[in-house]
Amino acid sequence: MNTLKILLRNLVRGPSTVPFPFAPAWTPERMRGRIEFKLSSCTGCRACEQVCAPGAIRFDKTPEGLRFMMWHNTCVFCGLCEFYCPTDAIRNGNDWHMAHAVGEKYGMAIRETIPYVACTACGMKALASAPNPAGVKPPFTPEEIEQQRNLCPACRKKALAERGVQP
Amino acid sequence: MSNFTIPVGPLHVALEEPMYFRIDVQGETVEHVNITAGHVHRGVEYLITKRNVFQNVVLTERICSLCSNSHPQAYSMAIEQIAGIKVPPRAEYLRAIADEIKRVASHLFNVGILAHLVGFESMFMHVMEVRERMQDIKETIFGNRMDIGANTIGGVRYDIDPASIGYLREQLDALLPDVEEIIKIYNTDASILRRTKGIGVLSYDEAIDCGVIGPVARAAGVNYDVRVKAPYAAYDRLEVPVHTLKDGDVWSRAMIRLMEARTAIDLIRQCLDTLPGGPTVATEERPAIPPGEAIAKCEAPRGELIYYVRMTDSPKPERVKWRVPSFPNWDALGIMLKKAKVSDIAIIVNSIDPCISCTER
Repeated sequence: MNTLKILLRNLVRGPSTVPFPFAPAWTPERMRGRIEFKLSSCTGCRACEQVCAPGAIRFDKTPEGLRFMMWHNTCVFCGLCEFYCPTDAIRNGNDWHMAHAVGEKYGMAIRETIPYVACTACGMKALASAPNPAGVKPPFTPEEIEQQRNLCPACRKKALAERGVQP
Repeated sequence: MSNFTIPVGPLHVALEEPMYFRIDVQGETVEHVNITAGHVHRGVEYLITKRNVFQNVVLTERICSLCSNSHPQAYSMAIEQIAGIKVPPRAEYLRAIADEIKRVASHLFNVGILAHLVGFESMFMHVMEVRERMQDIKETIFGNRMDIGANTIGGVRYDIDPASIGYLREQLDALLPDVEEIIKIYNTDASILRRTKGIGVLSYDEAIDCGVIGPVARAAGVNYDVRVKAPYAAYDRLEVPVHTLKDGDVWSRAMIRLMEARTAIDLIRQCLDTLPGGPTVATEERPAIPPGEAIAKCEAPRGELIYYVRMTDSPKPERVKWRVPSFPNWDALGIMLKKAKVSDIAIIVNSIDPCISCTER
């Protein structure tokens, strides 16, 4: 009897499946999908490379700067890089439409380079990465981030000391 | 009647996981069972010593999909013990919530497969449809349907805000009547009762002898649940009822799972009612792990899961060893299958909810 009741109810309710690919499938906001990388926020700390479980993330030193490389087909969508990133430069977006032709497989990667610049204070060659926000109070303003980006590590330290730690 | 030997498996005995039985039958009756394991040995214990402690949280999660929260949880608990990290109270509650959400989904899956093996396909579809609500919860709150990624060393990786608490409560309110209905059907439906009552019996004494754990032990009357005997996460602050039945047959094991699914819904609600504020991780940065060794255990959907971890100066563990609940449970299959009919083999194997990928890793 119970089963008949359920069968009837299901008939009235209609299908509970999604008609994908003929209609869009429901995707929650937090779903961990394709990796999104924001170069301007990356501090070059390489935490994501160290925690990446399948080894999908790699940093290489090139003549132009520090190259960030991430392979979508190696990624397991665990979200560790997002969790340990100090500036939210890397995150899992909720895009899961990643089927592609075999010919496109080498394009399924993110390759971006943090360039070298000359330090605006001392002229030394330095990496134009975003400053690490850990322990900085009050937090950096967008102007300060741009200012820090163009300094070498020693001059960044000096600028931070001049700024002072405010309670 | 003649004697002969039939192979069952390695594919599709009950779940789509490889497990190979060589069964000596006398006519239709099982005389002797020979279990051959090792088809999904992937060398995870070796791999784990080649990755650092943080990467291993993800690797342990991928040992098995249905217990994918229990493995990283026990692993994290062992590492935290070595490093002396105190998990904040909010994280303890969030760990319990993740654990119970996975438990509901896992138990409903097994009970659904039982209906499928009984030949009651519409019931199977219905249970899986009910379970789909749990999958939606996992996808919405954690970001994945199976590998929810809730745990990290020193706490949890997710947090819930009032909006997601509201969503979770709403979904649980909708789920509970469906689970109650399934319990009623499994209690009364003749076709399910005929195929499961008195089948694959494991008595109390045999359960103690085999050292079975989890729902298999509780269905035989063994009152053992890690959440009560050795509380971890927030379970010492929650009211956890332990369900036991006396018969130890396939039906009892299914009923234990259904009752635990109902209890898990109540436990999630208890957690949401008393959820404390504060941080969700002990340290924002990656903690340093000193040398040492530790054992941690937790109650996976299939029973007690024990982790042993030994760390040296290296960031990679020297040895990680775990004892999964399916290991003692499948030993009891020899007793359960004795004198069973050939047609009941799949039902009996499914009733211990074997997790081959955990056991053979």
